[in-house]
Amino acid sequence: MAIQYWRIRDRYYRLIGSRCGACGSEFFPPVYRCKKCGSEDIADREMPRTGKILTHTLLHEPLPGFEALAPFYLAVVKLDNGAKVLTQIVDSPPDAVKSGAKVRAVVRRAKVDGDSGQIFYGYKFVVE
Amino acid sequence: MYLMQSKERAAILGYGAYVPYYRLPTTEIARVWKGGGSGPNVEKAVAAIDEDTVTMAIEASRYAMKMAGTDKLGAVFVGTESKPYAVKPSSTMVAQALGQHHTLAADLEFACKAGTEAMQIVTGLVGSGMIEAGLAVGMDTAQGRPGDDLEYTAASGGAAYVIGRMSKKALAVIDCSTSFVSDTGDFWRRAHERYPRHLSRFTGEPAYFYHIENSVKTLFEETGHKPSDFKYAVFHQPNPRFPVEVASRLGFTMEQIKTGLLNPLIGNTYSGSSPIGLAAVLDEAQPGDKILVASFGSGAGSDAFCIEVLEGVTGARGVNPTVRSMLERSTKIDYSTYSKFRDKLHK
Amino acid sequence: MSGQRAYVASVGMTPIGDHWGKSILDLAVDASRGALAGLGGKKVDQVIVGNMFSAVGASQEHLGALVTSALGLRGTPAFKVEAACASGGSAFNTGYRLVKSGAIGSALVVGVEKMRDLEPEEASRALAMAESAEYTQFVGATFAALNGLLARLYMEQENVTRDELSAMPVLDHANAVTAAHAQFRKAITPEVVSRSALISDPLRLFDCAPVGDGAAAALIVNDDALAGAKGGHVEILGGKIATTEFSVYEREDMLDFLATKEAFKGAMAEAGLAPGKLSLAEVHDAFSVVGALSLEAMGYSKRGQGSKDAKAGKYSMDGELPINTFGGLKARGHPVGATGMYQIAEAFLQLAGKAGKNQVEGAQYAATQNIGGVDSTSAVHVFGRAS
Repeated sequence: MAIQYWRIRDRYYRLIGSRCGACGSEFFPPVYRCKKCGSEDIADREMPRTGKILTHTLLHEPLPGFEALAPFYLAVVKLDNGAKVLTQIVDSPPDAVKSGAKVRAVVRRAKVDGDSGQIFYGYKFVVE
Repeated sequence: MYLMQSKERAAILGYGAYVPYYRLPTTEIARVWKGGGSGPNVEKAVAAIDEDTVTMAIEASRYAMKMAGTDKLGAVFVGTESKPYAVKPSSTMVAQALGQHHTLAADLEFACKAGTEAMQIVTGLVGSGMIEAGLAVGMDTAQGRPGDDLEYTAASGGAAYVIGRMSKKALAVIDCSTSFVSDTGDFWRRAHERYPRHLSRFTGEPAYFYHIENSVKTLFEETGHKPSDFKYAVFHQPNPRFPVEVASRLGFTMEQIKTGLLNPLIGNTYSGSSPIGLAAVLDEAQPGDKILVASFGSGAGSDAFCIEVLEGVTGARGVNPTVRSMLERSTKIDYSTYSKFRDKLHK
Repeated sequence: MSGQRAYVASVGMTPIGDHWGKSILDLAVDASRGALAGLGGKKVDQVIVGNMFSAVGASQEHLGALVTSALGLRGTPAFKVEAACASGGSAFNTGYRLVKSGAIGSALVVGVEKMRDLEPEEASRALAMAESAEYTQFVGATFAALNGLLARLYMEQENVTRDELSAMPVLDHANAVTAAHAQFRKAITPEVVSRSALISDPLRLFDCAPVGDGAAAALIVNDDALAGAKGGHVEILGGKIATTEFSVYEREDMLDFLATKEAFKGAMAEAGLAPGKLSLAEVHDAFSVVGALSLEAMGYSKRGQGSKDAKAGKYSMDGELPINTFGGLKARGHPVGATGMYQIAEAFLQLAGKAGKNQVEGAQYAATQNIGGVDSTSAVHVFGRAS
């Protein structure tokens, strides 16, 4: 698991997604081929760190390894460049977590591998 | 001469504070452990379950870099006594998140004063011409043993500073500083221990007061400055009482220290304590104002700084949330939530 | 399409539920024996196993040879097909294509899943492996969470009420009462759904298909192989698998099930059937919202109307298009890699006139729609009563 996380840590820490050189569309998660125009002229691109909640849910029974966070909010956030990110929403009062709410990205502990394994960090979002 | 002054002056180009969202009222600690009452401070800032020194350092550093308008750092120093790993640098994780690779990166530990010594080191690297700009972070998720007096104040938060060469956009110049240290065992944590131990009243006179008074008096003697030269003063804040007392002994007024005095509302953020106090001052200081900052770290030592605010400070306003706004954006939690967040429950 | 005609000659299945005493192999063998009975002792040309997570669930891979060996079919080529929850439908499609093309004369397809050996959260983790490790599992999202996100979007954008969303689980449970192999044979009211525990709001326990063990199998044959078989058979008129953008949150319109849309269109075109011709459909409603969006993608409901139409009775046993005639995923059960094969076995029972108390009278044509992920893969097959 540690190597899998290491390989894409910049995507987790800095929201590095993709930009299409042909039509300028931007994507997160990264793509191999532009979903708008089909071009394979794709380069890494840091995503804007702000956006809006498109839809959200309060998850009561998360995956193993995330129990201590439960219940927690998950949302699909539409970033300012149109890219969509699946993310946890943290540090936000329940009545603020709603469709259309403005959010910004922060870095948090994403997953901790027990007491002796590594700590993995990644993006989460906070309602502004 | 004991004064530390770089050949070329270095300046604060940007800063960023971080205070986590959660507050534990000290009445909660008193309710659970003492049967009522409260601690010396009103509340303390508590990092969420998924926060640590690295995540908070990244947030504060992003703010600092944004304000400085720089994307290139020659040094990244993270001063903390609550590293997520015993072995694995926090500074490389922070550097990676900031997109910095061609940089000197190191973790510093000196109880509560690792943040200010990071500032001194970066000042030296900039002042010597070795680097253009560097990052100094003081950040902690300090922990007190459940029920210990320390638990009232041990808190999470801190600030980050981008220090670089003087420019028109510089916010404040770091004119000079002093350091004073001695082997004093007032507070310690042995390897593999979860919580620190301390010698309660011994942490006062021979530790906090002795070292701060020495660093500040040396600064005064060698620069000719006197308390009235400073518009603001920030002293390390292990509790609400010590900084007020040391200010009084050194000849400062309540008016001079109130802006940077955050302990009553957030507790003691250890390595973050004096840096975040300075951030609160920079949020409102005007060009020409002089600021005295004196940290304290157990074990023990104190760094004292003379900082003068520059014209650039006005242009930096509004770029980042102020420390006051971070104090306001908060929610109260109870002792059980705090226990869960800070890993005090063991299944 | 050139080649030969293909039929389902016979099917076999185990009841769905807690098979504490049976291994994944026991289940696969039980269902396979039922299906092989239709072959009249002849040798089958190919064995295909549909399964999603035998590695995680039972520490077992290489299911093709394992099952074939257990059945005593030495020499028979065999392999496993995996496409998450669409593993069953995808395995069947592979067998269908091989027979239809003329490459082989018969194929045994068995879908199997052993879920109950896992604790619920471990089963949830195994299922989540059908989604992106790096961008979905990484944030702690389960399939219930992804579908919770989808359900909120559906309710908010299309003005769907809680009771409308509940119509699909209520329909499933009503149909399962008389279904011998169903996991939950008990009717429920919309209140039961809306009062059940929140899993990932707005989705509640009764919006979600249960965890269960099961296996279902079908024997696919050409005309020659059919000649030696005994009893009723059903013709496979069309079948298509389609895929779309992998994760639902990557899609421009999250409510548009493009894989199902394309698979259904392709399968119906191959069958040469107009949509109005279907007598019944087995729909992949792993979550209430998924059933609704599937019916919209297949064109039976207009956008935003899937749940509303279900509530109005359009998809009930006496409605315009009966669906999930043995209880669907919610009540018949959803043993993941086996689900697609249960749907096909059920379509077979309907068209062969063997559906008993669940019989749709005069059923001529049936479709099965089997999804993997949140419609990342969709496998649709169309069947006709043998003439």
